[in-house]
Amino acid sequence: MKSSVYIALPLFLLLAVVQTAVLPYFPIFGIVAQVPLLVIISWTLLHGLEEGLVWAFVAGLSVDLFSIGPFGATALAYITAVLVIASLNNFLPSGRFFLPVVYAALGTFIYLLVYLSFVRLLGYGTAFGTISNLVTLVLLNAGLMLPIYWLIYGIEHSIRPRRVEV
Amino acid sequence: MNLNKTPQRIRVIVIVVLVGTAVLLSILDSTGNLNSLFSFVRDPMTIVLGWTSGRAETVSGALSGPRDLQSAQEQIALLQNQVDSLERENEELREIQGEYQLLLDLFNRVRQSPEYTRQTASVIGRDTSPSIRSIIIDKGSDDGVRVGMPIESARGLVGRVFRTTPHSAQVALITDNASAVPSRLGNSRATGLLRGGGLGGSLTMDWIDLKYQVEVGEVALTSGLGGEFPQDIVIGRISEVSRSEAELSQQAIVQPAVDFDSLEVVFVITDFQPIDIDIFSDPPSN
Repeated sequence: MKSSVYIALPLFLLLAVVQTAVLPYFPIFGIVAQVPLLVIISWTLLHGLEEGLVWAFVAGLSVDLFSIGPFGATALAYITAVLVIASLNNFLPSGRFFLPVVYAALGTFIYLLVYLSFVRLLGYGTAFGTISNLVTLVLLNAGLMLPIYWLIYGIEHSIRPRRVEV
Repeated sequence: MNLNKTPQRIRVIVIVVLVGTAVLLSILDSTGNLNSLFSFVRDPMTIVLGWTSGRAETVSGALSGPRDLQSAQEQIALLQNQVDSLERENEELREIQGEYQLLLDLFNRVRQSPEYTRQTASVIGRDTSPSIRSIIIDKGSDDGVRVGMPIESARGLVGRVFRTTPHSAQVALITDNASAVPSRLGNSRATGLLRGGGLGGSLTMDWIDLKYQVEVGEVALTSGLGGEFPQDIVIGRISEVSRSEAELSQQAIVQPAVDFDSLEVVFVITDFQPIDIDIFSDPPSN
């Protein structure tokens, strides 16, 4: 585990505040994108399962701080999404354009499925009736994946350039 | 010991620990055992949330009026400097008028039912979790806000306080799936139970007796039954009625009067006279 884990907590607290207090003022097609989820999917694709899991856990708890849903439910859903994506990423060839978009759509779908099922299991009322909203969220997250993925990729490469062996 | 398998074992342990912790926290929170910890962590975040929300609202307001800006730019090209400054002055006056209208609506609402004690609160955050509808307000237990208190806006019922910290509170909206509000219709006087979670943020009124002829357009109000909400707060209007003689009751879809996406200021009803339901608990005297 690298030092990047230590930046996860302040980063995701900041992202949770942005998700709760800023993004609701800028909905796209009436839906607010799940930016923390896209960040952890990007990080998992760039750094693998271990760091992705810890980031998913921290991101989920940060988001749950401002939700009336059960504390930890988002973390569980994020962890599951990261597990599936990291497993698929091991088998599929790596790609920087098409595959991140597919992973974002898949990750959002898994997150929604696990989150809605888990909160229902804990007795919180959930309706699977708003399917159109959920489909829009999957598509929106997929559409926003590339900018976020490339932003993280660019920041990382400018901070930590790859070592070249001669 | 097989060293090749060690990283895999560590990986499995990490997964089990993280998943286990998440599940444990969820169960503890669902049973109300994390409330004091939440107050400790959430309260400092409320200050950041309030500040950020205020800035975001300003930026959002500026960006949501590109047509005004565009038309203003066209006018700038056509008109002289004097007209330009008048235009700006006009914008400021419109902003003030908007604020005045908001305050007037709130004042009128208070005047309609002066018997309730209210606390004004600003909305500083919104839950973006799928299928959970809640907002965060900037008043908490230090301001007298308690769990279960009803929340209303100038246009109608908003929800109930779900959880408090000393300086903020989370409010479950009436559109949330878990919400249930005893309600009554304005014209037919039929009663029912209003639930959230409908398509497009609509509400569903269940258990309406078949003997009532429910009309589209009727106003739905709180009935006050159960004592959790005051009587006669507007909830919305009937947009659809499904009546089947095979069923024991009929159902109606209610469009809420409140636009939950643009809520800025709400009232916490801190004290009201609930309907007297003692007659149900006291044994008959003869």
